[in-house]
Amino acid sequence: MDPHYRILEHPADLGIEAWGESIGGAFENAVLALVSALVDPITIEPGVEKSVLLQGPDYEGLLVKLLSEVIYLFDGEKFLTGRASLASVTPTSLEGRLFGEAFDEKKHRPRLDVKAVTYHQISIKKESDGFHVTVFVDI
Amino acid sequence: MKKLDTYRYVIPKSFQPGMTVEGMIYADEQLIRAIERDQTLVQVANVATLPGLVGRSLAMPDAHQGYGFAIGGVAASDLQEGVVSAGGVGFDINCGVRLLASSVQREAIGGRLDSLLNQMFRDIPCGAGKKGIVGLSFQDLDKVLEQGAGWAVEAGYGTATDLEYLEESGCIRNADASKVSQRAKQRGRDQLGTLGSGNHFAEVQYVTEVYHEEAAKVFGLHPNQIVVMIHTGSRGLGHQVCTDYLEIMQEAMKRYKITVVDRQLACVPIQSPEGQDYLKAMAAAANFAFANRQMITHWIREAFRRILGHAGLGIVYDVAHNIAKEEVHKVGGEMKKVLVHRKGATRAFPKHRPEIPRRYFEVGQPVLIPGSMGTSSYVLVGTEQAMDETFGSSCHGAGRAKSRHAAKKEITAEELVRQLKEKGILVRGASKSGLTEENPNAYKDVNLVVDVVHNAGIAKKVAKLVPIGVIKG
Repeated sequence: MDPHYRILEHPADLGIEAWGESIGGAFENAVLALVSALVDPITIEPGVEKSVLLQGPDYEGLLVKLLSEVIYLFDGEKFLTGRASLASVTPTSLEGRLFGEAFDEKKHRPRLDVKAVTYHQISIKKESDGFHVTVFVDI
Repeated sequence: MKKLDTYRYVIPKSFQPGMTVEGMIYADEQLIRAIERDQTLVQVANVATLPGLVGRSLAMPDAHQGYGFAIGGVAASDLQEGVVSAGGVGFDINCGVRLLASSVQREAIGGRLDSLLNQMFRDIPCGAGKKGIVGLSFQDLDKVLEQGAGWAVEAGYGTATDLEYLEESGCIRNADASKVSQRAKQRGRDQLGTLGSGNHFAEVQYVTEVYHEEAAKVFGLHPNQIVVMIHTGSRGLGHQVCTDYLEIMQEAMKRYKITVVDRQLACVPIQSPEGQDYLKAMAAAANFAFANRQMITHWIREAFRRILGHAGLGIVYDVAHNIAKEEVHKVGGEMKKVLVHRKGATRAFPKHRPEIPRRYFEVGQPVLIPGSMGTSSYVLVGTEQAMDETFGSSCHGAGRAKSRHAAKKEITAEELVRQLKEKGILVRGASKSGLTEENPNAYKDVNLVVDVVHNAGIAKKVAKLVPIGVIKG
């Protein structure tokens, strides 16, 4: 299956565009896109589960928080997310699970330090084939 | 946009609704064309809409599109009436540059450069996901956050004299570790003493040209002398502090009835509890970065000692280029306390300013400008004109011109290493993609950037440095 995301060009950062049939599906693919900047996603065995529950001001805010969570888990707790499964996404809250494993430098061969997620040109759009999200991360 | 003179372009208030001050770009005709290609002008204009701004919203010749603020931007707000923006400092709080001057001449290194670089590469943790000193307790981390480079010196990394040659003496006093989240501390705890990845580096360089004899002499620089430049910041700790306070500011902004044209510009009044908390957390993250560069300095000195027998790597200076600082500047003819946001810009204070090291009192502070990998870097000196025009600020580097992806497509890591070797530059890199993304062709020409700054008078050239060895994260 082709990945449901692509990496965009930006002079300072790295952009990701992801899509899905539902907004939750688009968010899940945005997580995959972000992880692909950190390591090769194929190397992650998603055997460990972490729950995620976030509150936010709107969909954009929740997307930034979700991706920030993935960055924090990697950088702060050395946990690599391989897949996200979101049970519910409303305009003000998000609930779901992240599947991954402990980071192992030799196994996962890190690609980039992703510093943070930005609101720069963030967009969430409903199109005929589903939801498209665009977000830029600082590296 | 109006061309004011050869090196200055003004963005009038009519450029965009809501601008309360003008914008000003420092550039020549070639650089302004590059700046016009992306969103830099719009971002400079967006910043000019923030409440309580004084003077002008500025962009240095190395400016390029960032997120919210342009990178290479300077904006000052009234300390009483103005706002502070976490995005105006950026994610890598106190990303900065340090220069060490050795007692070794270039010709004395001979065939030992390879061993020296290998030693440095072994001793400085670099690249994505690398750990620094192991086992730092949260209690000790709090000390790092409140004492900065002073903590590192006390822990045996360097000497007390080092502190005299750091901006803020390596410690911003109002830092408060309790304003830094546990998450930020968790990210930073095992990253203290790491170079990181991206554009961060440690370079062995030599002085190739001296333009300003008097200043070079006072800074301890002379032709063919080996120097070392370090470029890194506050690592994951600073990134998380910015992430946390962007959320806090977005929420608080509603209460203060502030609206911004770009969410990344989220800001709060400087004197609000949220504004004060951010400045205390930012200072703590800045101190982490000062300590980080201090530890890396120590390892470089050890590597020099081991391979060359001696080092003499005294600190020339250490400058922050992502920071917000309370300073006194002339605004509309009177002296005023302002908060200067420098987002990819360097403080460039002239002689007789109390903030600069005593030894530099009669010449001004060193302004350190790293070039892109394998190209030249510069040492400049601050000027009175910078005080009059740019809140005592100057450029910070070459400035990226192409995306990382485009840079990577242009050249393979092997070819890049070969080309650099042909130019007499040896490279040690943690990752191949890290190297190619920093392909020097992805950056503007640092010589052009520095010439604009010099000719516009907002800093003066002192010396040019050329690399012979690069350690890349």
